[in-house]
Amino acid sequence: MIDNKGTSARIRNAIIHLIVIILGLICLLPLINIVAISFSGSAAVTANKVGLLPVDFTTLAYSRIVSDSQFWRSFGISVIRVVLTLALNLVLVIPMSYAMTRKTSEFRFRNVYMNLLIFAMLFNGGMIPTYIVVKNLGLLNTIWALILPGAVPIFSVILMMNFFKGIPRALEEAAIVDGANPLQVLLHVMVPCAKPSIATISLFSVVGSWNDFFSGLIYMQKVKDYPIMTYIQSLSIDLQELVNNAASSSALENISELSNRNLNAAKIVVAVIPLLLIYPFLQKYLISGMTMGAVKE
Amino acid sequence: MYKRNMYKAAALTLVGIMTLSFWGCGSGSTSDSSTEIVTDPAERGTVTVTLGRQTTANPKFPSGDSYEDNAYIRMTEEKLNIDIQDEFEAESGDDYNRQVSLALSAGSLPSMMKVASKDELTELYENELIADLTDVYDQYASDYIKGIYDSFDGRALANVTYDGKIMAIPATASDAGTSMCWVRSDWVESLGLTVDEDGDRCLTMDEVKDLARAFIDGNPEQADHPVGIAFNANLTSSSSDGTNTINAIAYALGAYPKLWYKDEAGNLTYGSVTPEMKEALSVIKSWYDEGVVDNQLGTRTWDDITSLLTNGQCGIIFGSWHIPDWLLNNVYTLNNKAVFTPYAVVSEEGKVNCTHANATGEFIVVSADFDHPEIAIQILNLFYDDMVNDSALLEEYPDVASYLNEGVDGTARPFNIEVKSNTYLLDEYACLKAALAGEGTKEEIPTAEERSNYDSIKAYQEGSGDVTGWCKIHSRTKGVDLLAYLTENDLYNWITPVYPETTDTMNTSWANLQTLEEENFIKIVTGAIDLDEGFDSFVSGWKAQGGETITGEIEAQLEQ
Repeated sequence: MIDNKGTSARIRNAIIHLIVIILGLICLLPLINIVAISFSGSAAVTANKVGLLPVDFTTLAYSRIVSDSQFWRSFGISVIRVVLTLALNLVLVIPMSYAMTRKTSEFRFRNVYMNLLIFAMLFNGGMIPTYIVVKNLGLLNTIWALILPGAVPIFSVILMMNFFKGIPRALEEAAIVDGANPLQVLLHVMVPCAKPSIATISLFSVVGSWNDFFSGLIYMQKVKDYPIMTYIQSLSIDLQELVNNAASSSALENISELSNRNLNAAKIVVAVIPLLLIYPFLQKYLISGMTMGAVKE
Repeated sequence: MYKRNMYKAAALTLVGIMTLSFWGCGSGSTSDSSTEIVTDPAERGTVTVTLGRQTTANPKFPSGDSYEDNAYIRMTEEKLNIDIQDEFEAESGDDYNRQVSLALSAGSLPSMMKVASKDELTELYENELIADLTDVYDQYASDYIKGIYDSFDGRALANVTYDGKIMAIPATASDAGTSMCWVRSDWVESLGLTVDEDGDRCLTMDEVKDLARAFIDGNPEQADHPVGIAFNANLTSSSSDGTNTINAIAYALGAYPKLWYKDEAGNLTYGSVTPEMKEALSVIKSWYDEGVVDNQLGTRTWDDITSLLTNGQCGIIFGSWHIPDWLLNNVYTLNNKAVFTPYAVVSEEGKVNCTHANATGEFIVVSADFDHPEIAIQILNLFYDDMVNDSALLEEYPDVASYLNEGVDGTARPFNIEVKSNTYLLDEYACLKAALAGEGTKEEIPTAEERSNYDSIKAYQEGSGDVTGWCKIHSRTKGVDLLAYLTENDLYNWITPVYPETTDTMNTSWANLQTLEEENFIKIVTGAIDLDEGFDSFVSGWKAQGGETITGEIEAQLEQ
């Protein structure tokens, strides 16, 4: 990048670009294929004829989604979940990571807490004990079962800590000299400086909680309470698996009605849209947020 | 040192949690029922029944209805004076089994639930978590229900009897029949071929091969890459009617892959490691080498095979009698000239080898803590006797009748199981056939499902061109008709496999052995490894990696 004039550098650049473009296409093409399938006639989809452009263009699949009440219910549950998770994450992660950057002279048990955090990051109780805890707290079938177990993402705490450490100490001292208390320092000095990092952990939180389907499968015991990704997961059908398990002919009939892939593709597209909408707003912070936190002073 | 302590702490915590959870399970099961319990629904108060329910992705509820509140549930609640609540709902398969395990480990079983394996049932029995149903079954089960279970020659109830006690309500599974060779008969016509000259509705393996060859050469729909016959990557299936499998060929050669059975000498055998299986693989291999079998065998997915059929690239598919309903319908939707005819593949002796299904693989259990186990039997009577035999019931509950006609999924019922006699398929078809031929009436057809099939078939014959009619004509008047034909003409040669309980070694090695089997089979057929060497080394590998031990364990099971 420093010397673009040499031929060898140009070739090198070309190769790098080529690799990046190929990697980009690998990520992008399946998505385009899904979009194309969602707008294609189901006959063409069954016959495997859809590539990157829709065949027999139709919006039938989308009009069927509009009338699927469970889809919108699950969609709403996921929106509420994402908003609550994000708010809770930020409220917990920012003060915590700020406190964790204090020296042991200021915060005597800092290392104890740090070890606890690391321990909890590396080990957890496993599925069944966690389930029993959630159940005994009476959280089953409530939205809190989807939110509270992941309320403090430790990876985000560490990311924020490293970022806070990178902010010049002088800024903080200046605020203290002006009479600010620790909370004011955090809110008026540290947080505004840390916007890129906050954007980063917000994105992690939003993407993570939107895409997570497994906790919905475990903690939500009624289909009507499923968040959107759990609902979509339940629609993906493996006919072969069902046939091997000798499902009855009428059950297979009902399932195969649904396995028209263009409807499922349309559902995936609709479910991905919210993330696509959020991403551009956060993306400009994202790259700087990741790297700025990486270097300590 | 620090790390080691941490591990110790973690291990101790884990042990603690496990003990606690076991203790949690055990404590609930010791309930004494010394107090007299009123069992007549009309005389007692409303009882709350919690259920573990299986769901499906496409239940087809009318709008407003749900699993907890639908016509079936409302009828059950009213008839039996109970209040049904779902303890958990999850899609059949892994999701449901996970919820059952979670409920077990949390020590909170619903009053009644379905369990999908014999192993789970045994575990529940051994931990004294489920109620003994012997008395309530004897006392409350209707004669019709008892008759259904008796039609399995005792196999159905024997499966759920532990130490002489009936511990569960078994779901029944009737014999699936043979894996048929479905052939595009409109292609046969347009190419001027003759299939099944002797008209016995059976084909030999060579006839199948020649037909596939003729379809490739004739290529009636001018497809780009015609394919003779396509199979799944895992080639065989434990179910006799396996779709997209080589089961039909293997059975015709006397090989019963993925099943345990006693051979003629009385020795317990696993079908996939027999010399007959090797022969079956050699046949498929030779077809593959000649280009009759799909040259992309192993990489073609289920959906890809479906698209071969719909694109007119392929005109032969192996599968069960009901594939027209949910797989071949795609072919008709795209090309309503398509017509299929099923044939059975026969052995050298001219017989169709077939295996009996596992009579029961699914069960309803009642929690040991639940005071009204008779309600389970009453639900059984209501759905599997009254609803079938008592037409007044359906008049009283028109919602339920419309559920049956609309084909609302069976998961909507409190128990997602089937309880039907071993021969129900052929019995019902006999009535349908009579009605269609004008020798009987629609009203004489016993089930709502078959009556609506009658309507669809009639409508199609009158020219509706509707896909459902096409499907039912194929699945019933061709598919089931072939099964009936084979039975009536005594063309079947039945094998009764042993369906073992999962043994200790199976727990640790079965998944590996299955992978070993499937990988080797596909390698042999595609020529990646030599037939003789490959099969022999597979068999010795299979035995060495646990197959031998498992055989011994199952023999011990059988002797008990």
